[in-house]
Amino acid sequence: MRDRLPDPRRLALHVTSLSVLILLWWLVTRLGLVRPLFLPPPGDVWDAFVRANSDHPISAGSERMVRGEQNYYLWEHLVASLQRIAIGVGGGILVGVPLGLLMGATWLGVLLEPYLNFLRSLPPLAYIGLLIVWFGIGDTSKIWLLFLAAFPPITMATISGVRGVREDQINAVLSLGASRRQSLTAVLLPSTLPEILTGVRVAVGFAWTTVVAAEIANGIPGIGGLAYLAGEQLKSALVIACIVVIGVAAIALDLGLKSLEKVLVPWRGKA
Amino acid sequence: MKTPLRRGATALASGLLAVSLAGCVDSDRGSSSPAAESDCPWEPDDSITTTARIAWQAIPNADLVVKDLGLLEACMPKADISWVQAPSGGDVVKYYGSGDVDLGLMGSSPATIASSEPVVRDVDIAVVWIHDVIGDAESLVVKDPAITEIAQLKGKKVAVPFSSTAHYSLLQALDEAGLDASKDVEVINLDPEKMPGAWQGDQIDAAWVWDPVQSQLLAEGGERILSSADTAAAGRPTFDVGTADRGFVADNPEFMTQWAKAQDHAVEMIESDPETAAESVAVVLGIEPADAQKQFAGLTYLSAAEQAGPDYLGGKFVQDLLTTAGFLLEQGGIDAVGDEAQYAEHVDAAPAESVGE
Repeated sequence: MRDRLPDPRRLALHVTSLSVLILLWWLVTRLGLVRPLFLPPPGDVWDAFVRANSDHPISAGSERMVRGEQNYYLWEHLVASLQRIAIGVGGGILVGVPLGLLMGATWLGVLLEPYLNFLRSLPPLAYIGLLIVWFGIGDTSKIWLLFLAAFPPITMATISGVRGVREDQINAVLSLGASRRQSLTAVLLPSTLPEILTGVRVAVGFAWTTVVAAEIANGIPGIGGLAYLAGEQLKSALVIACIVVIGVAAIALDLGLKSLEKVLVPWRGKA
Repeated sequence: MKTPLRRGATALASGLLAVSLAGCVDSDRGSSSPAAESDCPWEPDDSITTTARIAWQAIPNADLVVKDLGLLEACMPKADISWVQAPSGGDVVKYYGSGDVDLGLMGSSPATIASSEPVVRDVDIAVVWIHDVIGDAESLVVKDPAITEIAQLKGKKVAVPFSSTAHYSLLQALDEAGLDASKDVEVINLDPEKMPGAWQGDQIDAAWVWDPVQSQLLAEGGERILSSADTAAAGRPTFDVGTADRGFVADNPEFMTQWAKAQDHAVEMIESDPETAAESVAVVLGIEPADAQKQFAGLTYLSAAEQAGPDYLGGKFVQDLLTTAGFLLEQGGIDAVGDEAQYAEHVDAAPAESVGE
């Protein structure tokens, strides 16, 4: 472990820096240095956040109640996006890990690697139009897009994990009488696991950036779709509220995966 | 044996399960819940069991009132109706291409593209309704108060979303003023929401755009020197039109009649009870009802009878498509301008006519 501040002091540091940042933000808007369209004050963003999570009248004094934004609460938009990511990345893991093991251990790697690299370097926005024509405008095309964004990094990570396993270890268990299968499940997979987890973290990061693009077309409910619509209507406060939610959710997700890493591969970095 | 691997798989599976279970967010919930349990203003038709998928856009017209009040659902209780939001008319054409929608709202430019080569080979739609004639809703706003006429824009930078009805109106107006859009003026492609930033930074001198950006630019000291009402008066009108798949129209005449009746009812409501209509529009757009009502003034709404008449679907509209096609050919939006018969084939006044019957 690198030396780090004890937990309470670390927390205090983060809280202070965040407060200073928000104070600066408030001051800049309060002094009228920036117009609200470009940077709304923190209070407006908070209001937009609360409004988006509650039932509220369409305007002051009106009897017509509206649910959240676009008839979904903000958290529902977030969950809808998370669902798409979970399915896309889940599919990416199911396909990416076995494919990576195959490519890392056999000649298939030589054959398929150029295609994998090609796919990996494509920006998702370039082919979302094509996916819409193939799979329609519903969730299917979005999930395909997320899958295509998620599985290459997982495969690449698995391949590099497999190639990093020392042949001696495999030969050792084989000479001790283990079957091929056992060498796979008892040696190859566990030693590749740290790399796979890193790959999953990268893939989830990709999926987050991609989901916002995927939700531009018919993306309600969806946090990316909401941010896009709000931007079109010049609702800057709501856009910033969405951005903050996207950022916080992404960090929380990454922290979750990181702690998963600690549970699953406690030996990592200690060998 | 509890291997780390098995633990990993379990943890991962339970994590994925948790997310998918926690998130029972139904993608198909209509984007607005009906105002109240709304009733059909006439005798509902129980016999219609059509499945209809409708693409809508965030434009303040009767379509949004129909959607918000749930008129189609109320008048055709057995029909299965779903609404899909499209960011632009070009996207609606794409949705038709992939077979995802049966009806959809688009501007007259995308409607012309859909009726011309090469897109006409992939989609087969007809214009069945005119949601609105665009007036002050789209206008040319200039930054320099010294500029009061479009001719003075020579050498200036004008922003407009390309392939839109506003783009068409701008080029028509420039042409009328004797300016060459490719030489005398710098016309740049910009999405509306990016205009305020460019305006603020003095990167553009003018913009032809719609609300809410239009109001924003006017509030920032911009001056409106021309609008689509002027180009319409000069014989180059632009519209937001309702389109439908021709096969769908042929198979479901009763549905189309009910649909047109609902649209006609909502148009009448905008005229007679603008407060209630504005509230519906405001709910769908997520804006203040007062703002929605203001936006009504920028568009002209037509009753079914007017639409079916010789000035619109019953006659001149085919000419308007043809003129638009000529413009789009120059812009490279289409490969060829068809003959009048080809465009007439893609205009169908029957649903509008059936309202009066």
